[in-house]
Amino acid sequence: MSIMSYNGSAMLAMVGRDCVAIASDTQLSANGQMISTDFQRVHMVNNNVMIGMSGLATDVQTLWADFRARTKMYKLREERDISPRAFAHMVSSALYQRRFGPYFIEPVIAGIDPDTKKPYVCSTDIIGCIEKSPNFVVAGTCTENLYGMCETLFRPDMDADDLFETVAQALVNAFDRDAYSGQGAIVHILTPTELITRTIKTRTD
Amino acid sequence: MSNANNTPLPAPASYGGFTFENTHRNALLTRMGYDAPNATKTGTTIAGIVFKGGVMLGADTRSTSGSIVADKNCEKIHRISSNIFCCGAGTAADTENVTGMVEAKLRLHELKTGRKARVVNALTLLKQHLFRYQGHVSAALVLGGVDHTGPRLHTVAPHGSTDTLPYVTMGSGSLAAMSIFESRWKPDMSFDEAAQLVGDSIRAGIFHDLGSGSNVDLTAIYLQEDGTVAVKIMRNIDCPNPKPAPVLNYKYPTGTTAVLTKEVKPFSQLAEVTAISRTIFENNEDDDAAPPAASAPVPMDIN
Amino acid sequence: MADRYSFSLTTFSPSGKLVQIEYALNAVASGFTSIGIKASNGVVIATEKKLSSILISEDTVVKAVPICDTIGLVYSGMTPDAKVLIDRARKAAQSYRRVFNEEPPVLQLVRDIASVMQEYTQSGGVRPFGVSLLVAGHDHNGPALYQVDPSGSYFAWKAAAIGKNMLSGKTFLEKRYTENIDLTDAIYTAILALKEGFEGELTENNIEVAVVAPAPPEAASSAGGVVVTGGNPDDPLYQTRPIFRRLTPAEIKDYLVNI
Repeated sequence: MSIMSYNGSAMLAMVGRDCVAIASDTQLSANGQMISTDFQRVHMVNNNVMIGMSGLATDVQTLWADFRARTKMYKLREERDISPRAFAHMVSSALYQRRFGPYFIEPVIAGIDPDTKKPYVCSTDIIGCIEKSPNFVVAGTCTENLYGMCETLFRPDMDADDLFETVAQALVNAFDRDAYSGQGAIVHILTPTELITRTIKTRTD
Repeated sequence: MSNANNTPLPAPASYGGFTFENTHRNALLTRMGYDAPNATKTGTTIAGIVFKGGVMLGADTRSTSGSIVADKNCEKIHRISSNIFCCGAGTAADTENVTGMVEAKLRLHELKTGRKARVVNALTLLKQHLFRYQGHVSAALVLGGVDHTGPRLHTVAPHGSTDTLPYVTMGSGSLAAMSIFESRWKPDMSFDEAAQLVGDSIRAGIFHDLGSGSNVDLTAIYLQEDGTVAVKIMRNIDCPNPKPAPVLNYKYPTGTTAVLTKEVKPFSQLAEVTAISRTIFENNEDDDAAPPAASAPVPMDIN
Repeated sequence: MADRYSFSLTTFSPSGKLVQIEYALNAVASGFTSIGIKASNGVVIATEKKLSSILISEDTVVKAVPICDTIGLVYSGMTPDAKVLIDRARKAAQSYRRVFNEEPPVLQLVRDIASVMQEYTQSGGVRPFGVSLLVAGHDHNGPALYQVDPSGSYFAWKAAAIGKNMLSGKTFLEKRYTENIDLTDAIYTAILALKEGFEGELTENNIEVAVVAPAPPEAASSAGGVVVTGGNPDDPLYQTRPIFRRLTPAEIKDYLVNI
């Protein structure tokens, strides 16, 4: 079994018109046994950037503590919020530093560029190769399913409500056939002015 | 004297320095039967040729993770300096970082010497780095550029060996691409002939090699008639595999998803809350969203 | 007996001074004058480059140097000391780029340089740097001009003068500086400020001028003379942005004839 399946997760981020969505399941399991149904893998870096981390839960928490500290130091030093793009490169360089002893996470980053107000989504592999996408990125134990859903459902220029419905349905239907993820989901829609967070009803087995 | 580092954190990745603190844990996990996941590879067709007064580099745009296409339109032609570019095949993170490291080192070299870097400078830095890591930094590169010695084209293999040839290919699609070059390359081709030939070799890789796909990227570095160097970046010059427009509209109407909780956080208000206190937010009567109930998951930290 | 407090840097004099730092400032004050002016659309820095002998090949002496694409500096004081700081600054700029994939903001680079200079006022077996720097650059906040002193303190200026004629230069700049001065006017003003107290005649070979300004179209990228077409417009490397550039002697001459 891959270590990425040890705790299980499903995650995606998608671009809309003047908004981005980032969504994740909320279960935490170990070795196929349920531990928690409200495990948080998605975090807010600042008002412009959110990061979700799929993969090994211990590494998710270790790295989030590290990234949070780094971005807070960045804010104190530079007196500005880090942009999604610069944050993604910071994450990438932190992961590549451990090229030969990696953390087992695949991060998904979604944000709104503070200067241009353009949506930004990207993901990286476990050693920090950035994959910037004009539409959506996925990560976790059911990426095949998520890719299939997103390729079918994605439309350009969705508004915030449309984007929510699309992302929620892509996620729920993808992990419907994944034993290692599910048990509730959380969907964040980030716009330049607000963050809309919804928890949604999913199957709970 | 040690460099005074005014952050309490370990310095973020500096070039060249790797950290090995997780290797024991990861080896243990492997012994327990938990395999390390695959990194993203660029299956890749990359190619380059020398033509009259310049070099033409080409690449496909597919990156893969196992058998999954991870990125349909990635960029594999990396800028190393204004007159030197480098196509990368192999582990995507390695090609990205090894070219970035050489870019930084060449920039320092250019500032120190006050002249443009030569292609062999890049070649030497690349091969020394790759040889030091004995093939574990898995980058196969096509390096091309124009310096004061003229057009230069090289390949660098992951273990650090290099070649200097008038037409080269690398990556899983290198056989398909080379078959095109072997049958059609000739000395002193024009810019347009070169673009056509490299484009055809990349298309051969896209259609015949399963690790390569999507679109054709070209970059030309060449001498202009007045003797100055010019660069032409032709990103997605050919997109032979467009995604067809959907015939049906798979749109879920608003309300399809059963929402359990909804929380709207306007950022101006968030800023106020962090500045004063959290209780003000929870007692704010203007807030039409439901106040966070005890059972509702707190979605994230408030910065 | 005042001298007893000048042996070791880590010893304060009873009046609370670190006299070695004051001596370092004296070294700066005997160095050639440097001027910097922040304009509405760029920054200019300028310095004297008078050589001790006509036999010295003047184009090998460069005092206005690039640190990265968007930042450069001039110094007054001891050249070898400045070289050490320039080297450290360039490495810091590249390290920042490797992590964030952006050119460093000017203040961040100034802080890096200043922390090196501070370290040399508090460590054993070393002496302070005998230079002051004028750092010019451009970032998300627009044009920026900073002065960094041997003590490691740094200041943001609208216009600044360091070196031998610092006082007369500052007085001149206080009289001539206006808010919203544009870069061309700032270049003339900087040259005129250098002229204050300059012994002999200004020529294109005995002064240096550099600007941080929107690049001319043919050098729109950081290519430095290489024409790049078709770069990804999302990539900051291929965006037109202000870059640091030394003026050629011919360009300086054009300014001089109009004075």
